[in-house]
This record gives sequence, structure tokens and C-alpha cells, in this order.
Amino acid sequence: MSTESTSTVAKVLKPTILILIAIVAIASRLFSIIRFESVIHEFDPWFNYRTTQHLVKNGFYDFWNWFDEKSWYPLGRVVGGTVYPGIMVTSALIHNVLHFFNFPVDIRNVCVFLAPMFSGLTAFSAYLLTKELKDSSAGLLAAAFLGVAPGYISRSVAGSYDNEGIAIFLLVFTFYLWIKAVKTGSAFFGLMTALFYFYMVSAWGGYVFITNLVPLHAFTLVLMGRFSNRLYVSYSTFYAVGTLLSMQIPFVGFQPTRTSEHMAALGVFGLLQLYAFAELVRGYVSPKQFKTLLKGGIASVAIVSVVILTLLSLTGVVAPFTGRFYSLYDTGYAKIHIPIIASVSEHQPTAWTSFFFDLQMLIFLFPAGVYLCFKELKDEHVFIILYSVFASYFAGVMVRLMLTLTPVVCVSAAIAYSTLLDTYLEKSDHVLASSLRDAAAPSDTSDSKASGSSSKKPIPKGKTPETEPKPQPKSSATGEKKRFPIFNWDSRLVVILQLTWFLFMFAWHCTYVTSGSYSSPSIVLASRNQDGSQMIIDDFREAYYWLRKNTKEDAKVMSWWDYGYQMAGMANITTLVDNNTWNNTHIATVGKAMATSEEVAYPLLRRHDVDYILIIFGAVIGYSGDDINKFLWMIRIAEGVYPNEVKEANFFTSRGEYKVDHDATLTMKNSLMYKMSYYRFADLYGGNAVDHVRGARMPSEGPSLSVLEEAYSSEHFLVRIYKVKQPDNLGRNLKDATAFDK
Amino acid sequence: MGFSTRTLFLTVTLALIAFLASSSFTVDAQSNVADVLQKKITSLQAKAVKNKGVIELDSLAFDEVMAKPRNYSMAILFTAIGPEYQCVPCLNFDPEFKLVASGWSKLPDKTKMLFGSLDFKVGQAVFQKFGMNSAPSVLFFPPSDSISSNPLSDRYDFSRNGFTAESFANWVNARAGTDIKVRRPIDIVALAVKVLGVFALIGTIYLIYTKAGKLSSSKYLWSALSMIRNPPYTIQGRDGRPGFIAQGFQNQFGLETQIVAVLYAILTGSVISLIGVVPKIENPTMQRMAVWVSMGLFAFMFSVLIQIFRVKNPSYPFTLMF
Repeated sequence: MSTESTSTVAKVLKPTILILIAIVAIASRLFSIIRFESVIHEFDPWFNYRTTQHLVKNGFYDFWNWFDEKSWYPLGRVVGGTVYPGIMVTSALIHNVLHFFNFPVDIRNVCVFLAPMFSGLTAFSAYLLTKELKDSSAGLLAAAFLGVAPGYISRSVAGSYDNEGIAIFLLVFTFYLWIKAVKTGSAFFGLMTALFYFYMVSAWGGYVFITNLVPLHAFTLVLMGRFSNRLYVSYSTFYAVGTLLSMQIPFVGFQPTRTSEHMAALGVFGLLQLYAFAELVRGYVSPKQFKTLLKGGIASVAIVSVVILTLLSLTGVVAPFTGRFYSLYDTGYAKIHIPIIASVSEHQPTAWTSFFFDLQMLIFLFPAGVYLCFKELKDEHVFIILYSVFASYFAGVMVRLMLTLTPVVCVSAAIAYSTLLDTYLEKSDHVLASSLRDAAAPSDTSDSKASGSSSKKPIPKGKTPETEPKPQPKSSATGEKKRFPIFNWDSRLVVILQLTWFLFMFAWHCTYVTSGSYSSPSIVLASRNQDGSQMIIDDFREAYYWLRKNTKEDAKVMSWWDYGYQMAGMANITTLVDNNTWNNTHIATVGKAMATSEEVAYPLLRRHDVDYILIIFGAVIGYSGDDINKFLWMIRIAEGVYPNEVKEANFFTSRGEYKVDHDATLTMKNSLMYKMSYYRFADLYGGNAVDHVRGARMPSEGPSLSVLEEAYSSEHFLVRIYKVKQPDNLGRNLKDATAFDK
Repeated sequence: MGFSTRTLFLTVTLALIAFLASSSFTVDAQSNVADVLQKKITSLQAKAVKNKGVIELDSLAFDEVMAKPRNYSMAILFTAIGPEYQCVPCLNFDPEFKLVASGWSKLPDKTKMLFGSLDFKVGQAVFQKFGMNSAPSVLFFPPSDSISSNPLSDRYDFSRNGFTAESFANWVNARAGTDIKVRRPIDIVALAVKVLGVFALIGTIYLIYTKAGKLSSSKYLWSALSMIRNPPYTIQGRDGRPGFIAQGFQNQFGLETQIVAVLYAILTGSVISLIGVVPKIENPTMQRMAVWVSMGLFAFMFSVLIQIFRVKNPSYPFTLMF
């Protein structure tokens, strides 16, 4: 085939492959819909879904000014000012566009399918990004890797309607635009970077990663002596426009000028201005004068800025780093200071198995790709190196941040993989010719690509005379840089076959992981019966539906905060605390009500107008994520605020064990949570009950309740709802009244 | 070094004072209870000071120390240091306990509070008496005249407070009303590692700068990452053999991390050799060998990695070579 027709075929093939990759990316995220149904998953997505519904129904301004009196009762929540609105606005926009063209798609389906759709776009932007780093074939590989990598799928399956679903696309695309901007030095691409940065800020708190990585890249380039007008134009445009835009999001507000997380970006912005100014001055004064000027200038600027920053931090104008940020650097910090952060499992450090599970072979191709970036080391490769180093660190500290690592792993693994393919698929006669040419002209040793890149590279100032001639004598003396083709067809074959096989394995692995681990909606549980047939446990929705249909419209339901969003979204009732966790005291109050005795808890419940209490109880079916297992966190958080009324030590037996059976401590047995969980549990089994989660044989005489009455227990007892009794008509205390009624 | 000589000097001086004090008190009348108490605390104090703040107890000494009346509080560590007990937490906590006790020996008034440690080997009777069946545990005994709860209910909770000396010191201070401060001796090894790390970082930056960067820093990151959690290095299995691979998906040991890091390094190395080294080999036979070796190593190590992963996650269905 001639080169011309090859390139024509490539022109047709590339879009086709990209479209296929997008289809695969979307398809592999649909397991949960096929197995279950088109529902919103988990916890946070329910809030996003509820706000999106509000946005679609009431319009943008109403959404912006929405005060939600149904959550955090009696405090309420200013929703418009405390959300990242990006995802809601995106799906409302899609919904409205579709309706404009008379496609009557339900907003739920838009929300459910949003993340898979965006994953197709993410794959495309990975293609663009990698194309800037190597070539389009590596780009296609990167797109395919990122399309199916479980590390990204974990957050973007259909129904997982969360910020990360669109944020990863924005992250990769912003980085692509940034690299493009640095390469071309065009203000247009700088502006585009800023615009997508703004979109990212509106969508996810992880935008801080961009805010720090891009300045770091610029700073590193300056340190490497690669300051250029391209860098100056792109960064200045990006920073100025991006920062102004990001401040338009109410939740972000003035943070970019006040918090330490954003200071690096500001500092680098200032540095670049100074550097550019110095470059300008250099053009007008003699080198000797310039040296003196420079020394004095750098020293004074450094001292002044450090002093100012310290003063601002000390006086509190610039806020210190936030707690979640601290826990990135000091993993012990959260455990000691903020139990609510430590209690969230996705803020835990990562084990190596998670890396393998989420990235399989990419995880060891990744360093090879980084190594290749070191060898090329153009401006954009520096970016990938920095990105990989920092993302690896953060992913190691917090499981959740695996998500930011995945794109760079895919990109650099694709670079390594496609270099492998290039090396072993190269047509031998072509290579032979080039190697012969190389042999004939030893001064021009390196292959065309390497030499092309090195000549394009900006030469570090002042180093020109020493560094430039060095590599050449070295390479001609040792023959190190000379590259030969792969001579034997068998060595080509073994490499290509194995690599292809690894690709198959990778695809299987990804499908296995996606289907097995990341496609569970978690509001619907599936288990297998002994005969292998599937059993669906739908207790959550059953109970929420019961609440929706059987309670007053303004009923207040107390539960642990994990279920707040789901209850608000599905049952449409008023909750006391939810997954927003902005008010630790309020959460601690709920924890206290759960952890204290009926006599203490009852006035507390009355004062908060609680009508119902909802708990999750897994002992019947062995669901280990139930409230008794979370109870320790409730106690801990409550103890943090009410140290005199709740004491964790009282919940442990004298041997330091957490027991729920005969050996349970008195405090444990008297606590509201214990009573609600095991109320009439023993009766289910005729007094011979076994807690399947904790493997404990329960006392035959269960706890009794006097201030609450059982209102509803779902099919498998997974959700139990209790009604808080009204004070007694005759003025007796409720304990006596209950005893009398018996 | 200056640190330890000072401690030694202090110890000797204190011991001397204690000796003089106790010998002068023997002459006085012994019927006075206060004097008895004073004598007791002084001798115990001397004993403690000699041993860097910890009084080593056995069953007999325990009863002696605990005998009523006593006007001092006591924190007693029940431990089992001997290798036959395989008590990893005991070994972990021991230096931390000693650190707090040595913090005690810096206090101006040492009469309020004493630290004792009782090893299972010599104190089985006491272990039985208190119904202890796990070690380490620390009990706090307040002075005998104070109205207090059963010391068994006031034990130091390792799972909550952790193994560090700082939190243990806080726990003691809250109970005894002392002001013990923990001063960690400077760990020369850790310092050296940090200094080396800084140099390595500078070196890496220099390498990038001079474009000779052949270091793939992310490879080294792996080993650093595992240290974040501070895991046990290995653990003794049931059959006494050391276990390298932690059971369970979310746990890992120090050695396990290093094994995996080495595997990753070999895998990455073979990829790099296929890309970078093989095409530079002039001799076709040599080149063929290099390809086969690299690729074989790659496939083999990948299979090993998958096997290790299957230990952690037994339901994983895929294998490569075996």
C-alpha cells in the first residue's frame, strides 16, 4: 500500500476507532442498568438528583436562591451557595435541549446516563492529550485504556450521578488545552483552558488539583530555564481569566484570594510577571549590570513575599489549609482531629491491591511511560511527569483520589505501549535503511524522531556552550544512541503476540472488575440463593416508599447522616442531618440521641421535633454496613462534642471488646440504637436469634422500648422505622405508661 | 550523645540523693505512717530512677508495691516481651512506655506517680488475679485512699488511643494530674533517611535539569507509599513461619509492599529494556536473546504478580502462565 492511501485509510479509521472506543466506554458502564434498573445509585447522587429536579422544575434563578428547609432541620441549608452546580446545570441543559427538539426524555434518565456519556468524551480528550505528547496511535491506545480502566469506571457507571462523572472529563480536557496553550503560546488556548477550568470549578472540589498542578508546571519550566513568551502568554491568560471566572461560583467565592490552596497559582503568576520584566530589562542593560540587578531583585522579592504571606497567614486573612487538605499530608491528622473525615472510608489510605485492581497492567507500564517522558522531556512531558508524581502520591494517601491518577496512568501507559509496538512493528527495510544511513554518518546518530526533538528543544540559557556538544562525542564513542531494527522475526512475533494477549487480559480484567465490583447501585442489593438464582433485596426503597406514603408531608425523620440524601430524595421528608456534614455539632447531637438511654434521648428528640427514627439493621441478612457497625463512629463524633454525656469507653466490655450479646455493657444495652436494632429481634427466631453480622448469639429476652414504638420494618429487617411517642395524656412518664398498658 | 550523658549524670545524682535520704530516714521513728509511706515512695523512686523510670516487677514485687496504704498512683504495664509469646504489640508498645517513663524521670516532683511493668513470665499470678488474658494492657491504680473505681475498668485503650507515647502520656496526665512530657530522642537513622531523601530529590531535579534523567521516580514512590500507613513488617503465621502477604484486601505488610515494589520494578524494567536496550544491540543473536529474556521475565513476573493478587482476592479468575 502506498503511503498516500495508508494516510487516507488512517483518516477514516481514526474517527471510527474513537467512536467505537466511546461506545465501549459507555457500554461497559451499563451493567447496573441491565441487571437492576435505571436508578440513581448510592448516597451523594441522590442529592444531586434532587437538586437537578428542582432546577428543571423551578428554573435557574430559583435554584440559585434555593433555601432547602427540608434538610438539616431546624437549621435548613442554603443550597445555591453550598453546591458545585456544574453537574446539575449540565444535565438540566441536556434535558432542556432534548425537550426543545421534542425528545421527551425524563430527567432521571438524563442523570443516570450522564456519567457514561461523559466517559466517552473523556476517552476522546485522552486521545487529544496523548496525541500532543506522542502521536495519534498512542492517543488511540490512551483513549481505549481510559475508556475501560476500572479506576475511572468506579465513579462513572450509569446511575452514579456524581460530580466526578463529568469532572474527570473536564480535568483531562483542561490539561489538554493547557498543553496546547503552552505549545502554541496562543492566548486563545489559554482562554479555552480558563473556560474549561471554570467549568471544572463549577463541577468538583478537585479543581484544586488543576489550580496547583498548572502553576507547578509553569514554575518547573522556569526553574529549568525554559521560560518563554509562550509560557508567559498562556499562563497569564489562564490565571487571570480562570481565577476571575472561578470566583463567580458562590461556593468558591473569594477562596482563590484567601486560602493557601490557591496561593501557589498567585505566586507563580507574580513570578512570571517579574521574570518577564527581568527579560525585558535584560534587553536594555549590560550583562554585568543585569546580574547585580537580578540578584538584588530576586532576594528582595523573595523576602518580601515570604514576610507578607506569613503575616497574612498569621493575621488570618489567608485561611490556613482546610482539614481534608491536611489529611493529604499527614495521614494521622484526620484520625486525631476530625473523626468525621476519618469515618468516611474513601478518605482512607490505599493498599497496593487497589492499584492493581483498578489499573491492572497499566500500573507497571505507567513508570515506563514516565521514563519515556524523561527521555523526550519537552515542555509537555514535564507536565506529565509532574502530574504522575503528584497524582501517585495523592492516590496513595486517599483511595478516592485514585480517580485523578487514572488519566495520567492511562496516558503514560499508552505512550509506553505504543512505543513498544512502534519498535517491534517497524518495517524492517525502512529501519534498515535508516540504520545504514546512521552507520554511514556517525555524527548524526540518533533516529529521526529523537534528533528532531532535541533540536526543537529550547536551549537553557548560559549552558549552551558546555551542554550542546557533549552528547555527540559520547554517543559516537560508545555507540549508545545508535538504534538497530529488530532483526529476527521470531523476537518481533513473541513481543507482539504477548502484548496483544496482555491487551485481551486487560479487557477481561476491566470487564470483570466493572461487572463484579463497581456496578452495584447499593440501594438495591443482590445476593445469590443456594441454587444460584439471584435474590434482589430492595428494602431501602421499600422503606423509603413507606415513609413517603405513610407520613405527614412535614414529618421529621432522624437517621444517621449517611442516609440523609437518600431519604430526602426518595421519601421526600425532612431530615435532621445528611451527607453534606457541614455542621458537626448537629451530627453529634443525632449521635448523642442514638447513644444515650431513652430517658436522656427523649427530650432531645422532642426538642428537635423528631417524628420518626430510621435505622439500618443488617443482622438478619448479614449486611455488614449497618448502623450497629457504624455506631462506634456515632459515639466518637458525639463524644467529641458532648464528652460528659457520651463516653466511648462505656460501650466496651472490661476486656475491651465491642459486644452486642449477653456480654454487652449496660450503657450499650440501654442505648437507643441498641434497643431499636434488637427490638423484637429475638422473637423472629423464637428466642434463639443469632446476629449474622457480628456472629453473636443474642439473649432470648430482647430490649424493651417505652418512648418509641415500632412503625415499620422492611421485608428483611434491613430498615427499621420507629415512631416517637407523644407525651402521655395523663402526664405520666412514658415508661410507666407503657408498663401500665402491658 | 550529650543527651544520654546528661541523663546518666542526673540518674547518678538522684540515686545518690535518694540513697542519702533513705539512710537518714531509717534512724527516725518508724511508727509514723507518713514516714512509712515516705520511705516506701523514696525507695521505689530510687528503684525507678535507676531503671529510667520503670520499676520492673514480678508477682511478689507487685503485691509489695500495691500494698495499702499508698499515696501514689501507679500505671502498670502488663506485657509479654519474650519471643515465645509472639506478642508484636507488646514489642511495639514497650519503647513508647519507656519513653513516657523517662519523661516522668524529668519531673521535679516524682512522688505522685510511678510506672511499673510486669512481664507475664514472672507475674503469672498477677495476670490470673486480674483476669488478664491479653497483653499488652496498662492499668492505672490511683492512691489507696482515693475513692475510685475498679482499676480494671480504667485500662488504657490501645485501639482508641493508639500506641504512641504522646497519647499514653496524655492518658496518664489526665489521671494522675502530672505533667509528663514526651521527648523523643532524635532518631539518627530517620534523620539520615530524611537528609538523604532531600539530597535524592535535589539530585533528581538536577538530573531532570541536565536531561540525563533515567530515574523513574514513580518506581520509588511505591515503597514510600506503603510507609504512610506504618504497617507491621511481617507477621508470624499460625504455624510459626513468617507471613509475607497480609490476608484481606485492604491490609498489607511492609515486606509485602517491598515484594510488590520489586515485582513492579522488574516489570517496568523489562518494558524499558524492550524499548530502550534491545534496539541498541547490534548482534542479531544477542538481540534475539535479549528480547526473549525480557519478554519471558515480563510474562513470568506478571504471572507472579497475579498469583500474589489471588492470595489477597481469592475469587480473582484470571491467571497468566500458572
